[in-house]
Amino acid sequence: MNDKKQVSITIGLMCVVLTCAIVVQLNTIKEATKIVGTSYAEQSLKDEVLRWKENYESLYKNLEETEEKLEKARSEATQENGRGTELEGELSNINKLLGLTELTGRGVVVTLSDNTTVTSEGISVDEDINDYVVHDEDLRSVVNELYNAGAEAISINGQRLVNTSAITCSGTVITINGIKLNSPFVISAIGNPESLYSIERTGGYIELMRQTGAIAETTKSNNITVPKFSGALSSKYMRNVE
Amino acid sequence: MSKSKIAVAITIGIMSFMMIYVMLIQISIASDDDREEIEFLRETELKDLLASYKERYEETNEKIVEAKNKIDEYEKDEKSEEDTVALLEEEVKQAKMLLGYTDVVGEGVIVTMENNVIYGEEESAIVRASDLIELINELKLAGAEAISINDERIISRTDIFDVVPPLIHINGQRKASPFVIKAIGDINYLESALKIKGGFIDSYTLNNYKISIESKQEITINKYEGELTLNYINKEEVKK
Repeated sequence: MNDKKQVSITIGLMCVVLTCAIVVQLNTIKEATKIVGTSYAEQSLKDEVLRWKENYESLYKNLEETEEKLEKARSEATQENGRGTELEGELSNINKLLGLTELTGRGVVVTLSDNTTVTSEGISVDEDINDYVVHDEDLRSVVNELYNAGAEAISINGQRLVNTSAITCSGTVITINGIKLNSPFVISAIGNPESLYSIERTGGYIELMRQTGAIAETTKSNNITVPKFSGALSSKYMRNVE
Repeated sequence: MSKSKIAVAITIGIMSFMMIYVMLIQISIASDDDREEIEFLRETELKDLLASYKERYEETNEKIVEAKNKIDEYEKDEKSEEDTVALLEEEVKQAKMLLGYTDVVGEGVIVTMENNVIYGEEESAIVRASDLIELINELKLAGAEAISINDERIISRTDIFDVVPPLIHINGQRKASPFVIKAIGDINYLESALKIKGGFIDSYTLNNYKISIESKQEITINKYEGELTLNYINKEEVKK
């Protein structure tokens, strides 16, 4: 009898847990399908996107590990090799210039944001809501001014600008290095902070942006971090002139 | 053992199994933060995203193979100092090419933009810095590996400014119309990116600019003539 009681209690508890789990589960699914919509094809497309994102991310980790190993193998091979060590130093310097390493240093941070307090109903007829939004062209112009002021390395929302970086827009989002980015845009630039700050000058692009309605802010800093470029620099079509 | 006990055991077994199964599904759905990011994307955007992940996966794969090959080379047992130096020299050469420190050759396109001054007319079209910046951006997006304007190599640090019009500063050098923009990359991509209906060439032709494009199997692009320095990075944490 005692034994039977124990069994019933166990089953009873399990039923409670199971019911809870099912209820939570059903709620989640209900919510998920509500957002996702009804298309099964779209759902499986999303699954595939997520799967490839995961694939890519784990492979990228693998790449980082392999590159570390390469660096180790390289420096072991050049031990007690004067010319080798020299070349290794040169290579690591070029890699820094290419944007393949994270850099920290002095410089400025420029933050450009859409003016979200303004709506298309809230402005007068002769104004354009687009003036209150940050565009790809704005980013290209500010970056151009920063390089003119001597910037040595620039990133926008974590995307390092390299030789092949394009800044484009599709709809309301901006794409850099193939990655979609949203306002606010945080431009980190390493260089002489005083010179870089000259982008705030009268008649400069930043002032122009402020006049038309977007929000812009520049601050000097002694501690700027510019992450490394995570894409591939390709040389499929070009080769050195011999 | 009585029949009823066996029945109870089987019931509990099945229930446990179901419970674990349900929980697993549950966990896999609930823990997916990534899902939220793509929740509101349209089908075309999803397809673009998928293609871009696949492409990046391929690129990463190629880079891994490349790095592994290099590791093998460096770790080879019977290897002289000269071999190591030769390996490094090759790596340095490759890196310099990517940076723009060398003259390069390859297939690509040549775009020519020219001022179209019509005296006394309002429609005069003068090429501005912003036009060149836009063109370079289009070429980069289409996968250009090397670009130059009037033989001035375009690198990430290149700045392009209007000086006394119609002169344009590129890398601090004064340049004037006609502007000859060379780009090395996949001819099909580069051409179609510029020639697409409503694209760069269309819109500039509409605005009276003189603009033309030709593709070539062999285009030579000059190296960057300046010197690139990093004077404002923290020196102490130079990675070894």
